[in-house]
Parts: sequence; structure tokens; C-alpha cells
Amino acid sequence: MSLVIVGGFLINIPFIPILEQTARNLFFHVPMWMAMYAMFLISLFHSIAYLRKADWLADIKAEAAAKTGIVFGVCGLLTGSLWARFTWGTWWTFAEPKMNLAALALMIYVAYFMLRSAFDEPKKRARISAVYNIFAVSTIPFLLYVVPRQLTSLHPGADGNPAFSEITAAELRFILYPAMIGFIALSYWVYDITYRAYRVRYISEQTLRNPI
Amino acid sequence: MYLTQLLFLVTNMFQDATDVAPMDTLSEAYSDKWIAAANQGEGFFASFMSSNNLIFVVLGVTLIIWTVLIVYLTRVDKKISLLENQLNHSSNEA
Repeated sequence: MSLVIVGGFLINIPFIPILEQTARNLFFHVPMWMAMYAMFLISLFHSIAYLRKADWLADIKAEAAAKTGIVFGVCGLLTGSLWARFTWGTWWTFAEPKMNLAALALMIYVAYFMLRSAFDEPKKRARISAVYNIFAVSTIPFLLYVVPRQLTSLHPGADGNPAFSEITAAELRFILYPAMIGFIALSYWVYDITYRAYRVRYISEQTLRNPI
Repeated sequence: MYLTQLLFLVTNMFQDATDVAPMDTLSEAYSDKWIAAANQGEGFFASFMSSNNLIFVVLGVTLIIWTVLIVYLTRVDKKISLLENQLNHSSNEA
């Protein structure tokens, strides 16, 4: 897994002869969002699993995946902001639908953690936050794909056109796809660390409450 | 001497961040021209970033990802250390 990441980084930089060097940002900015989607999908999977089996591990997994997804989403938002400053001329603009809806999607997930912190009883917290999480995931495709494509925007992939248009150099794909795999693998690793930390926290909380 | 120069550089950097962008291509009608790419404005930060075909923007992007991930992992690490302390204490008491 880490070999994939290292490979992704090593192959990345040297090859592409492109006038605008910022095109290389594609290898970092876009995989951030792909990693976020992957994490939110994992989160959705475990939320559904929790509702089916009421296994507390599934709830912890869903929480850890959502947290990791937010981390990568914040990365994507910040990198996008810096990129926008030097290609669009502004750090942030409220006229850009994809930018703002991505921020909104992240806020929906921040609300997930607020909801979690509102409950003391683990079972109730797990069930209600699982239901909320399924709702939160269902908003993502609309916020990040459907609505931006209906509105005009400078962001690629909006305004009715697909993200890879004919002006995008074809050789970018050869680097982009390994980079996506690499970053998704990296996000999975971060998710795994988070999950183990949460699991230990849960166990220690339980033992503190009911000492053996 | 060096301190004043450094201070000058740093203030210039932050001045750029607060300034209005040199050319806003988004709040007006949309077009395919990326006017802002040609005119990045004054200030140390802006001129540094737009040198060498904007390659430092890519550096900045990777550094952002790096810092966010490091900060996040450090926080998780701290949480785990806290738990370890708790566990050690409770096992000592028992």
C-alpha cells in the first residue's frame, strides 16, 4: 500500500511538459476529493451495517471514516483555494458553485460529529448518527455533481461539461489514476489508525464505567 | 538589520493576503479567459508564487496536504497517549 503511494509520488513530478505548471495540481487536488468520497462511502457502508447488525464496531468504523473524510475534504478545499488564487485571481468567491457546495458538504459532516457529541448513551448515539450519516452521504452527489453542472462555473466538471475535456492533456491520466489509487490507499491507512484509536477509546471508556 | 528585512518580507506576505485580488474573473460574467493568470498583483508572496510558471503553487498545494495530514495524525497520536496514560493509571490502582 505504501509502495503505491511512494510510486505515485515518484512518478508524479518529472514527466509532464505543460506550460502552466499548476496543471500538476491535478494530481494532488483531485485525489483529495476522491479519497474523501472513498471515506464517505466506507462510512455509509458501516452505518448501514450498524443499522442491520447493531455492532458497535461498525459505528466506530463509520465515525472514523467520516472523520478521515473531513480531513481529506479540508485538504481539498485549502488546495483548491490556493490554486484558485493563482488561476482565477481570488482565494474564495461566492459565485463559484462547486467551491461553496463542497464547503457546505463538509459542514453537513461537521454536523454529524456535533450530533454524535450530543448523546451520552452509546447505543442511541450510534443509531441516530447512523441514520444521519446515510442522509449526509445522499447529499454528496447532488452537492458536488448534479447542482454544479447545472450552473455556470470556471471549475472543470461544471457547466455541463465533464471534468476531463478535450483541452486536458491525455497523458495527465497516466499519472492521475495512480495518484488517486495512492491517495485513497493513504486515506485508508489514516482511517485505519483513526479507527483503532477510537476502538481503544471506546473499550477504555467501557472498562472505566464498568470496572471488571 | 536582517530582522527588519525579515519583518518587511513577512508584512508584505500578509498584506497580499488581505488585499483585494488583482482581477476577479468570477464575480463578473464568466468567460474562458483566465485573465488573472497574467496579472498576479504586487507583493512578495504573489510575485514569488507566480515565478517559474507557477510551480510554487504546486509546492504550496503539496505542503498544505502534508501539514493538514501531519496535524491530524499528531492529534490522534496525542489522544492515544492520553488513553495510554489512563490505562496505566487504572492498572496501577487495581
